[in-house]
Amino acid sequence: MKTAQRLRIILSFLSALPTISYAQGQAVEKYIKGRFNGSFETYSQYYLKNKIVTELPQDRVGSNNFLKLDYNYGKFTAGVQFEGYLPAVLGFYPFVLEPKSKIVNKYFKYTTDKFSVQVGDFYEQFGNGMILRSYENRQIGINNAIEGANIHAEPLPFVKLKALYGRTRRFFDYTNTLVRGTDVEFDINKMVKKEDSKVSATLGGSYVGKYQAFSGGGSSDDFPSTVHAYAARMSLNAGDFNIESEYVQKDRDPHLLNNQSFDQGRAFQVDAAYTKNNFGISATFRSLYNMDFTNDRDEEFATIAPVNFIPALTKQHDYLTSNIFVYAPQFRGETGFQTDIYYTFKPGTPLGGKYGTKLSSNFSLYSGLNKNKDIFSLGRERFYRDANIEMKKKLSKSFELTVGLQQIFYNASVIQKPELGLVDAYIAGVGGLYKWAPKKSVRFKAEHLYSKENEGSWVSMLTEFSFSSPFMFFVSDLYNYGTTNIHYYNVGSSVTKNSTRFSMSYGKQRPGLLCVGGICRFVPASYGFTATLTTTFSN
Amino acid sequence: MKKTTATLFLFLFFLTSRAQSDFSSVKLKNMSGKTVDFSDLVNQSKDTMVVLSFWATWCVPCLTELDNINEVYDQKQALKPFKFIGISIDDTRTAKRVKPFIAGKGWKFDVLMDTNSDLKRELNITDVPHVVIMKNGKIVYQHTGYIAGEEDNLFEAILTL
Repeated sequence: MKTAQRLRIILSFLSALPTISYAQGQAVEKYIKGRFNGSFETYSQYYLKNKIVTELPQDRVGSNNFLKLDYNYGKFTAGVQFEGYLPAVLGFYPFVLEPKSKIVNKYFKYTTDKFSVQVGDFYEQFGNGMILRSYENRQIGINNAIEGANIHAEPLPFVKLKALYGRTRRFFDYTNTLVRGTDVEFDINKMVKKEDSKVSATLGGSYVGKYQAFSGGGSSDDFPSTVHAYAARMSLNAGDFNIESEYVQKDRDPHLLNNQSFDQGRAFQVDAAYTKNNFGISATFRSLYNMDFTNDRDEEFATIAPVNFIPALTKQHDYLTSNIFVYAPQFRGETGFQTDIYYTFKPGTPLGGKYGTKLSSNFSLYSGLNKNKDIFSLGRERFYRDANIEMKKKLSKSFELTVGLQQIFYNASVIQKPELGLVDAYIAGVGGLYKWAPKKSVRFKAEHLYSKENEGSWVSMLTEFSFSSPFMFFVSDLYNYGTTNIHYYNVGSSVTKNSTRFSMSYGKQRPGLLCVGGICRFVPASYGFTATLTTTFSN
Repeated sequence: MKKTTATLFLFLFFLTSRAQSDFSSVKLKNMSGKTVDFSDLVNQSKDTMVVLSFWATWCVPCLTELDNINEVYDQKQALKPFKFIGISIDDTRTAKRVKPFIAGKGWKFDVLMDTNSDLKRELNITDVPHVVIMKNGKIVYQHTGYIAGEEDNLFEAILTL
């Protein structure tokens, strides 16, 4: 079927949707059983010429579109996802230059309380995802849904079982790799019939096997066609305190991204947390070696069709300047930890004042391994360090103040390019939210980043106004006064009605790593207009 | 494949037995690590409103919204009782910090984890923050995004719907 034909079918279906959604008359209710629901999202850009733009695309338009439709009737669910890149926005799918659209995901699912089976494209995760995770991240452009079958079952009250097989999506197609996996989790409390105990524990384990036919020269015995990966995990929850850990291992898996290394891959992660009246603390330790796990051994980018998920375990900041130096995990070998502390000084206490004071602080540190392969050896080479603290305080009924401080050490040579060197940066930020009447507010934020390295210092500001709901306007600027003297400004507006949101903006995009959910992609500098529309609908 | 899909759809249409609710049995986890079934939650609540607020620890407007709701939570509950649940879509990267995070915030409502975004996908939610109100097993109100003061619209909906 040609794209145009497909589009026509989709459009005619779309035009029928309002009838389904809004005609809530009894007649419709009587004949249409079950629940239809879906969502539509478009992210479109128009590119203009500017000195910051090194290469203006021939087609000045970039547009990513997603339409998802689901039908649910009792225990049955079926759905499709249609995607159109007309063509893709800059820095997105750099390989798909031609406009293309296709129904990419189709699935059918039967679910009961203790059993479910899904055929078609599905998303799944075992444990922390270190040996298997299929998921979607539209901003970054990852969709490694697996096409095949996925079964969940509880054969015994204390056993949860998952089994799956299939091939992973790669852009508009699938990889030529077969993935098989199984995961089991035991609920110890249910097993020993102590469900009322204050302490609860689980044990779990998973296996993932990846088969890709060997087509190179030499002997395929030396070059494993099937790569096995194993994981074991536990969790212990004792009310205020909980601890979880997972160990994973991947057999020899030579591929392009790990320089054809025959070494075994390993990772170990421990998470612990303690909570008490308005106080919470958590700590995570993770160490890994050679954990790049891609479907295709010739894949050039780790973000295209991965089998597993290894995110950066650092704080995801919302400051404009903090997002200049974002850590990306080093699959070849890293060890490190992070801690978080949250505390609220209650209203009426000396430090809490009338409305209370909220504090949060985070520290993370990641380094290389001392000896290759040994995930418990701390190396001298430091990759990243982030120490930050933020205070949020309501000063009056209508005004709230935020103050933040951050210090970053960023090894740009390792994380980005060898010539970039090491960066020390210091950030201070102040923000406020002033609400002077119901639904009328202004939010502002000003930040300064001081650094002697890289491009030097930056300053940024952001203001958001909402005079009358549902409209919102914003102006922001990120200015480098250390080296380039470029203003990356943006102005825009959005309007929201129920579950539909439309926004438009105009401005400049700074080149660099765009990171969402701990996974990053490189975006080139661009200048122009952006429009987005998202909507959710159901009958 | 096309034929199979079409047959399956037809099969669905002609099924006569109707289940209790048209929401799948999506599994969420509470703060003690116990599994909570979304369809049970909807069925058991009947005509008590269930307000689902989708959020994440990294989403600034989400936190502003939930902080503001928390501030007037007891007062609004006294007007008309409702069940309010924060659905965290934090994935593996940030999921482990949710429990200490909400303890530090001192939020009064329950939070459930949707680590693999299963419920987010089931309800076709694109971005956070996103609020859904359910009553008698049906979605009666939805709102996406947050601007300071918009929680008033939500409470208005709770009172009137």
